[in-house]
Amino acid sequence: MRRLTLALAVLGALLLAVFGANARGGQDARAAKEPVTISFWVPFTARELGVINSALAGFHKKYPWITVKSTGNTNPTKLTAAIRGGNAPDAVALFETDTLGAFCSSGAWLDLSSHIKSDKLNMNIFPKTIQNYTAYENKRCALPLLADAYGFYYNKAMLAKAGLKGPPKTLAQLSAYAKRLTVKNADGSIKVLGFNPLMNWYQNSPVHFGPITGATWMKDGKSNLAGDPNWAALLRWQKSLVDWFGYENLIKWQAKAGDEWTSSNAFESGKLAMNLDGEWRTAFVKADAPNISYGTAPHPVSKPSLYGSGFVIGSIMGIPKGSDHEDEAWLLLKYLSTDSKAVTGLSLGLRNVPSTLPTLRNPVLRKDPQFKVFLDIFANPKSSTQPVLKIGAQNQTLFSTFISKWQAGHVASKDLHAGLANVDKQIDAAIGQSGQVP
Amino acid sequence: MTSAPVAGALPAVVVRDRRRAKRKAAWRRRGLVLLLMSPWLVGFTVFFAYPLVMSAYLSFTHYDLLSAPKWVGTANYRYLFEQDQQVWPAVKNTLWLMVVFVPAQVLCAFGLATMLTRARYGAGVFRTIFYLPALAPTVAATLGFVYLLNPGTGPVNVVLEHLGIPTPLWFDSPQWAKPSLVLLGLWGIGTMMIIFLAALIDVPRHLYESASLDGANAWQRMRWVTLPSISPVILFAVVIGVIDSLQYFTQAYVAAAIASGQAASEGPTSAGYPEDSTLFYPVLLYLQAFSYFNMGYASAMTMLLLVVALTVTVLILRSSRLWVFYAGARR
Amino acid sequence: MTTVEAANAEARTLERRKPPARYRRRQFLIAVADHSLLIAVSLMFLAPFVFIALTSLMTNQQALSPRLWPEPFQWGNYVDVFRTAPLWRYALNTMLYAGLATVGVLVSSIPVAYALSRLRWRGRDTVFVLVLVALILPFQVTVIPVYVLFAKLHLVGSLWPLILPNFLGDAFSIFLLRQFFLTIPEEYADAARVDGCGEIRILCTVFLRLAKPAIAAVALFEFLFCFNDFFGPLLYTSENADNWTLSLGLAQFRTIYQVEWNLTMAATLILMAPVILLFFLAQRAFVEGVTLTGVKG
Repeated sequence: MRRLTLALAVLGALLLAVFGANARGGQDARAAKEPVTISFWVPFTARELGVINSALAGFHKKYPWITVKSTGNTNPTKLTAAIRGGNAPDAVALFETDTLGAFCSSGAWLDLSSHIKSDKLNMNIFPKTIQNYTAYENKRCALPLLADAYGFYYNKAMLAKAGLKGPPKTLAQLSAYAKRLTVKNADGSIKVLGFNPLMNWYQNSPVHFGPITGATWMKDGKSNLAGDPNWAALLRWQKSLVDWFGYENLIKWQAKAGDEWTSSNAFESGKLAMNLDGEWRTAFVKADAPNISYGTAPHPVSKPSLYGSGFVIGSIMGIPKGSDHEDEAWLLLKYLSTDSKAVTGLSLGLRNVPSTLPTLRNPVLRKDPQFKVFLDIFANPKSSTQPVLKIGAQNQTLFSTFISKWQAGHVASKDLHAGLANVDKQIDAAIGQSGQVP
Repeated sequence: MTSAPVAGALPAVVVRDRRRAKRKAAWRRRGLVLLLMSPWLVGFTVFFAYPLVMSAYLSFTHYDLLSAPKWVGTANYRYLFEQDQQVWPAVKNTLWLMVVFVPAQVLCAFGLATMLTRARYGAGVFRTIFYLPALAPTVAATLGFVYLLNPGTGPVNVVLEHLGIPTPLWFDSPQWAKPSLVLLGLWGIGTMMIIFLAALIDVPRHLYESASLDGANAWQRMRWVTLPSISPVILFAVVIGVIDSLQYFTQAYVAAAIASGQAASEGPTSAGYPEDSTLFYPVLLYLQAFSYFNMGYASAMTMLLLVVALTVTVLILRSSRLWVFYAGARR
Repeated sequence: MTTVEAANAEARTLERRKPPARYRRRQFLIAVADHSLLIAVSLMFLAPFVFIALTSLMTNQQALSPRLWPEPFQWGNYVDVFRTAPLWRYALNTMLYAGLATVGVLVSSIPVAYALSRLRWRGRDTVFVLVLVALILPFQVTVIPVYVLFAKLHLVGSLWPLILPNFLGDAFSIFLLRQFFLTIPEEYADAARVDGCGEIRILCTVFLRLAKPAIAAVALFEFLFCFNDFFGPLLYTSENADNWTLSLGLAQFRTIYQVEWNLTMAATLILMAPVILLFFLAQRAFVEGVTLTGVKG
């Protein structure tokens, strides 16, 4: 009996030693040896997808046991269907932050706070705006994948030909330049447009134009379109320019303008003299139309104190619920958002703004004079971003529909404030319906 | 139980065997029916009855597909009827389809079919030409029309400009977007036209002859002979047209996406372009259910659609007793 | 000659004489007017095809300009289209979807239609009313829970949610087949029964042969419906570009593949071509099928 107990004890100790050792050292051994493949869905396509893949190669070099399989052309709809259907990828990146509110509040994207704490990641490595748009009501569900800043592109040759010096800095100047730079055909239709004041075209949208007058979307959890006079100022300025060109003429010109993402882009093919666009356009111009002589600057603003700021946003990355490899996905996210070599490489390849403050000051990125402008816009403290709401971008859609009526002349000038108040009412009702508590 | 044989009656054994055989046959028949009907039984339950009930249930919940449905009572309906300002334009647009598009379709199909019956030479060729566009896949036809009616470079406006006629903005104008969709729909009227053609050919010739003998002119012949004879087909066309207008989605969605410059599955915010003029009820429903993932609210929308569809169909069928004439057979 | 005989003789000569010239001319003018109208309308119906074809042969710059005639003719566009977007894969997906769905519809709807038309059983009329109700109600009424169901089954992103329901009966096909079966006289079935055939054999041998036009029509309609279907693929396969069908791929053409109007129009024609070809090969089946829906409906 005693011999049996002794034998069992020895056996037990042996087992403990073997498995116990494996449990600890084995984990490192497993982590170092057992290869893992994780799926990473990204919204990029074509050339940009290639850039992402090179960054992923760098990640694989740093963590050789993790292979990342990337899939391009994803969007929030596909991701939601995948999460619900149980086919969610291990990590995902999206171009817009519109769905962050819905994903974060429902747990579709995991809360990253525990990982941030255990890895001791200091969030102040990112600018304040990034911290704002990667969290929903203080729950951080996303990390930034580079960022975007919006500024002003202008065709230097056209400006010089018209005898205009430098980019316009105020809205009044912008209007004047736009009128001077417009060239008409013999039949009165527009051949070259100075500036397109119509919204809901290319990058012209209320969310991008808001910072021009310093307008804000929300106040105390309620929609602030009527309450903030800057919106009305923006819309009135825009409408006066639309009326000068003639709404129908602009629509006809738009119909002839090429597709935004191809080489027939209106600005790149010389049909448009000045345009609001993001910093990525510098890469497109270099690829599609390297001979065009253009300059970049902060967008003209309504008040001189605002000059130098603009709209900023970024792509975000998260770990969907149902991810099989949460730890490896976290390593990927951390790498792509904070590793300076990766971020610099991505920034150079995609011509996006880097996400971390140290990389923002990297002289390598600041070499390109046209690109440097956007880095400064991004760092400008007055630059702003869109609020993260559970209804996503529905507030922008509702506002855009109103603006499309306004710019077509179907809303009388005196009814502007009432119209904006009505849009506020719709937005607040939608927020209430979604269950988000202000 | 044996009974004394009555003159002319069958022996009891035979009667009992026959009854047993009949019951067995009846069971076998029921088994056969069950076997034949089984696919439909399963399909109807899983893909119709269950979803219908679930839709009703979901309409009282807040459900975004990412977490379990949350009961909210009549909140969705209150939002639908009082607060969502996109619902009334959507309803108006769909009603417009029913009131403008359906009669246009019926008239056009009938008109074309009548023209074909009067053609002495080459009727087959003309019939083929009229039918071909109906074969074009919906998306292809929509894309084609959006390009053709492009306000700046489309051939239609180029020709109109040459002729000095004012050129509308077609799919980019809120007033012209729906008529543009009607034009697209009428281009594909071929299928309905063939049905009308078959019906027109079936009208007994002797009715026309006796009518003209009685002194009826062409219009009177049409009014009193043709229309009543083909009234069942007219009813069919109207019902089909109304059902289609309540489900009208693809053309509106694709046209809005392309005209506003976005790809179809990337830009749900283009739905209804321009200015909600192409925002039909099914389009808004899709937007709410599969872009905003507001599925509880969207289910409430489907409940409203259900009620409207049933009401309208019943009304049309009821009214048909007044004006539809079924030759011969009693219904 | 008596008056009657004289009248008869005159009637006979009247018959043999040609109608008066004025009447003939009027008929001729009416025929010309009819045919001119037909020609004019035909031109309007053909014009879109012509313009689409012309645009498909332009360069991109020309497609964006008001020019109507391509110069030079870019026949290479049709090759470029296949190089720019995976049209063959889309076509394969479309064929898979349409083919399997058609088979499923036939296999499941024929027995049901038979049971509803040739057999007598309690509840038959109620079931038929239910079939009609399913036909009339807009499909959006059931789309959300069905989507959730397929999501739970992890089938979203594939073509299966589109194919599977067709194996469980399709209301339109059942309706059409039932109406047609009703017109087949009972004598055929009776003769077969007398020969000792069971019900199923009757169905297989007698009915399938007699109902060939209706079956062909149902198959044709289902195939065309799947070929043209946009909402279904949009809903269930948009997240997975490998499973897109031609309809969905074409709608995405302009931005996703950074393609211009000229290639888009070429792709449009490519999408229209197979159906039109099928029509010319099977014209009679088409027309008969369409007529069946309307007249028996």
